[in-house]
Amino acid sequence: MHALQQQFWSVREYLSPVLRESKFKEHGRITPEEFVAAGDFLTYKFPVWSWEKGDASKARDYLPTDKQYLVTRGVPCLRRATSLVYTDADEEAERLLSFGDASGAGNEDEWVETHAGRAPMSDGAANPGVIDDIPDADDDAPHDGGVSSGMQSLSLGKALEETPDLDEIPDMEEDDLEAGDEATAAPKTTQATGTGIIDSSQVEVAKGNLLQVRTYDVMITYDKYYQTPRIWLLGYDENRTPLTPSQIFQDVSADHAFKTVTIEPFPHSASLQAASVHPCKHANVMKKVIERMNSTVVADQLAKNAGPLSPGGKEKKKGWFGRKSAGGKETAQAPGEDEDAFEGMRVDFYLVVFLKFIASIVPTIEVDSTTAM
Amino acid sequence: MPIVQFAPFSSLVQPAFWHELTSLKIDVLKLSDESVPVRASYTAGRTIKDRETGKDVALGCNLTVGGDAFSKDFQAPPNAVAATGVFKNYNTIEEFKAADKTALFNKVADEIWEGVKKNRDPSLLNRFLLIAYADLKKYKYYYWFAFPGFVAKAAWEIGGAWKAADVELFGDAMKAIHDDLAKAPKAYFLVRNNEGKTEVASVEKYEEFFAGVPLYSQYIGFLDPSAIPENPGWPLRNLLAYLRALYPSTTALLRILCWRDVELPHPGSGWKSRFGIIEIGVPQETVDPRPSAVGWEKNVQGKLGPRLADLAPMMDPTRLADQAV
Repeated sequence: MHALQQQFWSVREYLSPVLRESKFKEHGRITPEEFVAAGDFLTYKFPVWSWEKGDASKARDYLPTDKQYLVTRGVPCLRRATSLVYTDADEEAERLLSFGDASGAGNEDEWVETHAGRAPMSDGAANPGVIDDIPDADDDAPHDGGVSSGMQSLSLGKALEETPDLDEIPDMEEDDLEAGDEATAAPKTTQATGTGIIDSSQVEVAKGNLLQVRTYDVMITYDKYYQTPRIWLLGYDENRTPLTPSQIFQDVSADHAFKTVTIEPFPHSASLQAASVHPCKHANVMKKVIERMNSTVVADQLAKNAGPLSPGGKEKKKGWFGRKSAGGKETAQAPGEDEDAFEGMRVDFYLVVFLKFIASIVPTIEVDSTTAM
Repeated sequence: MPIVQFAPFSSLVQPAFWHELTSLKIDVLKLSDESVPVRASYTAGRTIKDRETGKDVALGCNLTVGGDAFSKDFQAPPNAVAATGVFKNYNTIEEFKAADKTALFNKVADEIWEGVKKNRDPSLLNRFLLIAYADLKKYKYYYWFAFPGFVAKAAWEIGGAWKAADVELFGDAMKAIHDDLAKAPKAYFLVRNNEGKTEVASVEKYEEFFAGVPLYSQYIGFLDPSAIPENPGWPLRNLLAYLRALYPSTTALLRILCWRDVELPHPGSGWKSRFGIIEIGVPQETVDPRPSAVGWEKNVQGKLGPRLADLAPMMDPTRLADQAV
């Protein structure tokens, strides 16, 4: 059924016409040209992102051959989103975010950020943060019922779960292969002094503050049917073993796991599967965000125009885009680079805004590298 | 003085590599278990600030193998350098278990050493070995990496401690080095900071580049995949062996620059590169024949053993159907 559905989607995407007309302000969708322009801007401003060619047989002809999709590798993810489980006590921690429009209070379209500034669940053991594997009919791994499945529902049991079945690893440990070497750094067990940098392999169990550093490869493709960018995730655990779908869902906020995030074939590879945020709602969300940003931008440009003609554009150059404070609060500033007045937000910023939106779906994956600015 | 401890490489294999291996095995290699060349890349070590605790967390000292590892026109990603390796795939798990790992390892170590002694070629210094068995039906891949690193008979010792590089070299010099490396990333390089001029050269030019340059303006640099403050990354190990073997008279004391700034520092954070002065324990040591080497990667349990990449949850059609909503 799933395969059939995927087939249908690929045919539908194939048949749908390429969007030619710029519509990004009206309904949040972009053309392939705008995708490339926004991607160029993203890679220029944030070099962690780069263009990829992908599998040549899967190349989309409406995109330049060397700019098929965007990728950034090794995006860190320090904690599980499931450790940010929502409780009633968090209601006060909700914070309304208005994208770019500081005076827009009272509008029903505010963006709600939950758990603002909240520390993760302090009691790791009481938090059933693991989404259990879907039972598998032909799973030949022996589960001895009670104890081990009980262990798997504990966060602390995660290490157990992630250890591949010992039966399956060939018994070929060869500790005599090389003698101990004193010049090889052992994994750090104590916190490094001085600079306060800790090693990612170090699991900090103190105060239940479990730190398991996963990394993600994040790809952005252009979805021709929905005419929006689409995000793809490939994850690795702290031992650099590929994550299973259920493990990836631990990093997706509970509202979205299993609903908008699914595992699907990556369009630029013959066989690769990756987790993806389904783009059916992207255009609506992006439209709202863009509208907000746009009105501030236009207002600001109008104000600038009304004022005395000064080289203010130069001075404002640094404030070209809203930045996120540590708490994740939007304090958008107007793009000062725009030379043409009344132009509003430029489509180049589309992907930067898009990443901020994606960051709300995968809150613990640091996809939004723009905060580092 | 404390001895210098090198942060070993950790392999990071992208799923795309296993997909590529699957098609290579079916279409090209078939039952052949000959060695094939493979390419990988690494970049500078990174740290990430944990927003909740404010601490910096070091990400691994990774060597990344991707889907283009078998491709002839392999290109390292921006800011990364390439490493070449030997890949050997076995047809059965028994053959994989029974492989003469010591011989394979020594062969790669010999190749590196030959590159040093005969050709004075530093490009082989980060050569690695990967052995694997692919269970294609179950989507399980058993693999084991080795990163041969030469053991100095008397260990290198660090005088004082590793410190921030911009305490030694100031902002302008750091910026000059960054700009030079941004044009063409180098795995190993030399820096001289003489009379207000900062220059970068490749490691083969050791003698002429440092001729007449006072020791306090000489720096041996390398792109450091480690992000741990007091552990330089694995590539330094073979670079030191290279310098000792070719220039024994002038390399008993070296000024090391662990380059970790592939991007200019953001406002509010400093340069991340490290600097330290290291000395060889016994300066008169002879470096012929080849020193012994270490470097098999440990598995998840921290033992010397193979790792397993189980891609069934992401590849097996029946498992994926279960996952679909």
